[in-house]
Amino acid sequence: MELNMNREAKVISKNVDVFYGNKQALFDINLEIFKNEVTALIGPSGCGKSTFLRCINRMNDVIDICKISGEIEIDGFNIYKQGVDVVRLREKVGMVFQKPNPFPKSIYDNIAYGPNIHGIAQNKQELDEIVENSLKKAALWNEVKDRLNEPGTGLSGGQQQRLCIARAISINPEIILMDEPCSALDPIATAKIEELIDSLKSSYTIVIVTHSMAQAARVSQRTGFFHLGKLIEMDETDKIFKNPNNKMTQDYITGRFG
Amino acid sequence: MSDDHIVKSYDEELHIINDAIVQMGSLTESLLEDSMNAITKMDKDSVSKIVESDKKINKFRASIDEQIMTLLVKRSPVAIDLRLAISTLKISQDLERIGDLAKGNAKKILPLPEDDLPPEMLNSMRRLGEAVQKQIKLSLDSYLERSTEKAIQVVKDDEQVNDLTKISIKEVLDFLAKDKKNLEFATNLLFVSKNLERAGDHITRIAENVYYLISGDYPKKNK
Repeated sequence: MELNMNREAKVISKNVDVFYGNKQALFDINLEIFKNEVTALIGPSGCGKSTFLRCINRMNDVIDICKISGEIEIDGFNIYKQGVDVVRLREKVGMVFQKPNPFPKSIYDNIAYGPNIHGIAQNKQELDEIVENSLKKAALWNEVKDRLNEPGTGLSGGQQQRLCIARAISINPEIILMDEPCSALDPIATAKIEELIDSLKSSYTIVIVTHSMAQAARVSQRTGFFHLGKLIEMDETDKIFKNPNNKMTQDYITGRFG
Repeated sequence: MSDDHIVKSYDEELHIINDAIVQMGSLTESLLEDSMNAITKMDKDSVSKIVESDKKINKFRASIDEQIMTLLVKRSPVAIDLRLAISTLKISQDLERIGDLAKGNAKKILPLPEDDLPPEMLNSMRRLGEAVQKQIKLSLDSYLERSTEKAIQVVKDDEQVNDLTKISIKEVLDFLAKDKKNLEFATNLLFVSKNLERAGDHITRIAENVYYLISGDYPKKNK
């Protein structure tokens, strides 16, 4: 397997604890996510993998009872430091969800919305270019270029998900978080998203939460296994799926858990 | 934490494959023993039985191949299960080859005279055969017991098999040197010695794959 030997940590999690009210959801999470790689987070439902993902762009801030301690550094900067502009952070860290959630707007406006509100495009021509480039990067351009004014919600599930990825890309993020992006898609649409993830990693750092072991094995370079709020093991994906160090990881990925 | 899969039929499939390897290994071990007995006792009558046993071994190989393919398709095994699938596939291939070599050896005695072969030569061949039989037993034990120690011992023992092969070949060449009319017999007996050495190599590979199955790595040659 090809491995980038000059790895650079894009995201570093240091002693992260997360509480929902009195219930602790994450325990002392320490890990590194490398630049221009795909990192997969796996584990049973409720293990904290999505909670951790949402820490990376402070999506948990919108939950009142959620309290976070520890640090998450992006490019060496602690995003939980006081005074951090969360809107700017989310510009840098885009997110794609389990269920495709296009805006009830045209395909064009779905992409143009972000660059507009973030003031990325100076004029209509620039905006057109962003829309075209984003749709091309998301491998959707050829399928929608003749119907940009039609509603995004009219696309197939797989196309909608790629539209959401194009929307995330449109504001030039550095990191893309994906929370089970293929769980609502058929195998062909899934294959297209996986192909897309592979091509996007040269420009972005990608973190994907998935319930599919095979998907984690296919798309990621590193895999982290979470269980009951703890990071049990994180290693090269190849190592995790051929010879994990931890018995709990092995029991989970081989279907012996329980 | 349980060692069983949540899906019980997955466990059953793995057990069936495991049992098939154990049975195939046991048949191959017996075949090797029968083949050595046939050679050292010049028991030509047993050759047809040995040929039949080899056919059974070949059937096991085909069946194990089929089962592993089904397992890969149905279960997409990972980690220990993946290593079991891959190493089992290789082990069954090596067992089949050992069966072929043992059968080939038994057939080599058919043209030989029954009673005027030099006892020293047959003795050195017997010692070589015993070393290979000991090696296959230890190799199959390492699989059954999932023992890396035994697997490493098999790899180490291969050197002794190689040394005994050299001695056995020298005895055959001495036999040939005594009288040129021994040429045909000696050629057959050279093949027997060489085939036993090759069987030892396959047994060593089995042990290496058992080591891989257990540890996820291959044994270092200098261990």
